[in-house]
Amino acid sequence: MDIVVTALLVIGLVFFTGGGVGILRLPDFYTRLHPAGKLDTLGSLMMMMGVAVFNLHHFTWGALLTSLKIILIVVFIFLSSPTATHSIVDAGVRAGLVPWTKKERRE
Amino acid sequence: MRMIALIIIVLSGGLLLYATQDFPQWADPASPASLHLSPHYIQKSMEETSVPNLVTAVLADYRGFDTMFETTVIFCAGVACFMLLRISRQTPEDRYYRHISTGVTIHIKDGGKIPDKSKEFERIDTMWTPFDLVIKTVCRFLIPFIQLFALYVIAHGHHSPGGGFQGGVILGASIILLAISHNLRTATKRMNEKLIGLLCVTGVFIYAGTGALCLLIGLNFLDYSALASVLFLDPVSARSFGILIVEIGVGIAVMATMIWIYNNVSSAGKYDEGL
Repeated sequence: MDIVVTALLVIGLVFFTGGGVGILRLPDFYTRLHPAGKLDTLGSLMMMMGVAVFNLHHFTWGALLTSLKIILIVVFIFLSSPTATHSIVDAGVRAGLVPWTKKERRE
Repeated sequence: MRMIALIIIVLSGGLLLYATQDFPQWADPASPASLHLSPHYIQKSMEETSVPNLVTAVLADYRGFDTMFETTVIFCAGVACFMLLRISRQTPEDRYYRHISTGVTIHIKDGGKIPDKSKEFERIDTMWTPFDLVIKTVCRFLIPFIQLFALYVIAHGHHSPGGGFQGGVILGASIILLAISHNLRTATKRMNEKLIGLLCVTGVFIYAGTGALCLLIGLNFLDYSALASVLFLDPVSARSFGILIVEIGVGIAVMATMIWIYNNVSSAGKYDEGL
């Protein structure tokens, strides 16, 4: 049980770290949104799963209910976070922000 | 005029500062509040009101009068926004319509003939024209859950953190999300302006009316144990239920005010197209 929890938390941490590095290092708005939207969603998913499993350490029906609520949070993050990213990208495109390309940089 | 206003503000501010001199020292254990009031709330609130959440008991029962006027303040904010921003007379303006099946957009200038009743055209905003299937679908899916959670927060305020204000804000946010994800006209079709205004008043009226009902039955204003004879309960659970009634009133008022302020601010008082 503990191994599963630790593995999930570490995987989540790796995703979060990757997301943070990506936001800092990538060149422009759209590419930065990419780690912000994807890795944060997946990282929080893993973390929440880890917490939900850890909560079942001493099994009671109340603990199961709490874990189900945590998984419900995961579901809603899974739905809303990509949608938010999508709408931000959409707004950027409509505002006329040109995506970064390597060619532009060489000029 | 501005000088007079400045003088009044400085004077009242000075008076308030002067009045704070009479307060007991910060965290003074010998102050009357710490000596008599807090221990009473902590020890007796469960047996007097049967509400496990101490904060709710103090907020809606012991200090119900204060909370009633907090609700009124929010109501006043909504009304002030309405009074300042709402424009009733509309000049003829440009409108955009989209032919639903083909996606062709037509632009009608200066109040020309408008295909308002036609089922083949839908009106679109000047700024926000594309089909946003992803956002619309996800929002349509999420809004019921948000509203359900808001009702839970309102109804569960006795037992866990939450209550009328928080739940009302979440309810209002769900309608605002509808307005953002679709457009303002869709949201106002669901909750039109008259309904919002009425709900705003209804919320405050439920709160004040509960207090007045207690007064009519023969106890103090907002002393919910008077409701025991109306609800057929013992006085202690009547106080608990009185808190619930009042919280529902607060929730309705806050929800309506949030939507009202959003509608007025986002459309600059015109109510035709929002963000």
